Amino acid sequence: MTRSFVFTNHKGGVGKSTSATNIALGMVQLLRRANATNPRVLIIDTDSQGHASLITTGRKNYGADDSLYTVLMADRTNAPQTLLNCITQSQWDPDLHILPASPMLEGAERELTGVAGAPYRLVDPVSKIANQYAAIIIDTRPSFSLLTEMGLLAATDAIVPVEPRYLETVGLTSVIEKINDIREGWRHPTLRVSGLIVTKMDSRIRGHNHLLAEVKAHPVLGKLLLGVIPANEAVSYAHSNHQSLFTYNPTASASKAYMQVVASLVRYLLKGGE
Amino acid sequence: MMARPNHDTQRMDDLLASVTSDLLGELPQNLNGNAIHVERILLEMVRPDPVQPRRVLPESIHLRFHQNQITPTQALRELVQIVQIAARHRGRPFNNLLELLPNADDERDDEPVATLTPEEVFLRDLVNLATTIRDDGQVNPLTVVDVSQGVTRLFRIETGERRYWATWLLRDFIPNYTGDGMIPCIVIPANHSSVFRQAKENTARSGLTAVALARQAALLLLTVHGYEIPTYAVENDFYRQALELDLRGKREYTDAVLSAMGGIKRSQFSIVKSLLRLSDEALEMADRHSIEEGKLRYVVGVPAEYHAELVRQIIDFNLSVKQVKELCEGDGSEQQVNDEDDVSPSAVKMAKVTQAIQSTTPQEFARALVRQEGDTSIARARLQAMKKLISETERYLGED
Ligand SMILES: Nc1ncnc2c1ncn2[C@@H]1O[C@H](COP(=O)(O)OP(=O)(O)O)[C@@H](O)[C@H]1O
Ligand SMILES: [Mg+2]
Repeated sequence: MTRSFVFTNHKGGVGKSTSATNIALGMVQLLRRANATNPRVLIIDTDSQGHASLITTGRKNYGADDSLYTVLMADRTNAPQTLLNCITQSQWDPDLHILPASPMLEGAERELTGVAGAPYRLVDPVSKIANQYAAIIIDTRPSFSLLTEMGLLAATDAIVPVEPRYLETVGLTSVIEKINDIREGWRHPTLRVSGLIVTKMDSRIRGHNHLLAEVKAHPVLGKLLLGVIPANEAVSYAHSNHQSLFTYNPTASASKAYMQVVASLVRYLLKGGE
Repeated sequence: MMARPNHDTQRMDDLLASVTSDLLGELPQNLNGNAIHVERILLEMVRPDPVQPRRVLPESIHLRFHQNQITPTQALRELVQIVQIAARHRGRPFNNLLELLPNADDERDDEPVATLTPEEVFLRDLVNLATTIRDDGQVNPLTVVDVSQGVTRLFRIETGERRYWATWLLRDFIPNYTGDGMIPCIVIPANHSSVFRQAKENTARSGLTAVALARQAALLLLTVHGYEIPTYAVENDFYRQALELDLRGKREYTDAVLSAMGGIKRSQFSIVKSLLRLSDEALEMADRHSIEEGKLRYVVGVPAEYHAELVRQIIDFNLSVKQVKELCEGDGSEQQVNDEDDVSPSAVKMAKVTQAIQSTTPQEFARALVRQEGDTSIARARLQAMKKLISETERYLGED
């Protein structure tokens, strides 16, 4: 079964979109290098701000006919075909595909809230095309909303990017609680929290080092820790150039750190999600 | 530094290499290789092969469907309409597709299949297959070829087009469908598929019509002569290009071609192929009504403008091989002279031929004739017919 990873954290600016898009590209390239027959990865952008869509395709003016919005508004029978029509190729790699977000998603959310079956409008069609992909990566917006719920329901695995600063303020236990909230609060007991990524780590800041040591020593969080991404200006430069970090600067410290995360996730995929 | 885009592939390679070595060691074999495997695929991603010699849909629907002018659902709706009209003509309209099944109502039960049009028989078989799929829950996997390109995920059917249509019919036209719109498929990587594979699959199963066999012979010939086989619906003229080709000079392929055609003889191969000389309308009718090669080979021998009428007579009067032979080789000259002041283009052509006699030799003419017909016995039959025409023509010259 194809695994789909939702990148989630109700806080904005923690590196969800950066992690989701770069990890997706890394997976494609690593799978291809490992001679996988199917190295394709699909990004689903559920954030109406469309950052992931913008940086991977160069545009974010997707709308009524060519975005996630279109899929959510399609009738049940046509939704899979609509989904196939709306998926587009990224500019980063021919095997990296994306279902783009749209500013119209905000309206869709208002319209669909309370409609029976609405939370399943993403997972239903996605499950029918999932086997075309080696993995699916879902980017979410920084809030709990119907769209985030759809994203979580369409996922098999959740990955939580956190900033040290955030860990500092809320504390480690609260992170675990948050993760459990996701599972129980969203009535999705099979969703597996399979990773924590510490982003924007600055080793010059003593507090950061201290927190990281604590995370590593923690019986649960230590196991979940997928990687630590240093704060690195290459990330924001790549971002503003609509480029992947790997293309922009493969030797940057953040590139190396992300590639380690990619390798763990690909290994997880190859083992069939164990 | 606001550096320009950096396309340093070497450094990216190094980065990938830094994590692949240990990864490759652990890599299970399941993800790599070009293995043939079974997968459940969304119906919308599966498409029938537009150049499959075996026609499933009626020609007019077939062409528009493959030119993407109609969806699968619309194609089936048109088929249902055609059948509904035929059923009304016999005073037996239906409200529901399930009524088409033999024992759905007792009156219909004893209706002999012979009175049904080919479309009715086809739809009835599809409904039957659809209900089997609905009730037994399983479909035998189709064989499909992965022809995906970029974001377009597409699987072309090699065998099982009927099951494909039955599943659509079930999804959109038959009540109580509870499936998920997916269909099990054996997926063959694009580089494993070939016209030869498909031909073998086709001939291994029964029910390939003479016309379908002719198309298949053409596809094989065109392939061994290096023609590109298109991926869109083609007109008969595409297959007719094979009339100018033969297996001579293709020694290395001869066995493969003949065995893909079910192990037929070389002379038989030429006869089968020559059926493509039939006019478009005749081909369509002959295919739809599964007229045998034994009858069609005589029709090929008369001018093309009579083909459709002859095939219609074969169907309407259920003519035997002997009757067809007599019909085709017997008359021909009589009808042409009925209209005194109106000379047909064929007659003009024949008259011209008499002027060309000096410029050829019997040997050369014989060779040209055999090449044109692809077979000596047909060439001989042609010559016979011509002799007869010539001797009778003389009579009419005297009268003038
Ligand atoms: N490791 C990092 N180092 C430096 N800047 C980063 C890093 N990760 C993310 N950023 C920057 O932080 C900002 C927010 O990141 P983003 O991925 O959009 O967060 P989110 O999707 O969680 O809102 C972006 O401008 C991005 O370039
Ligand atoms: Mg974001």
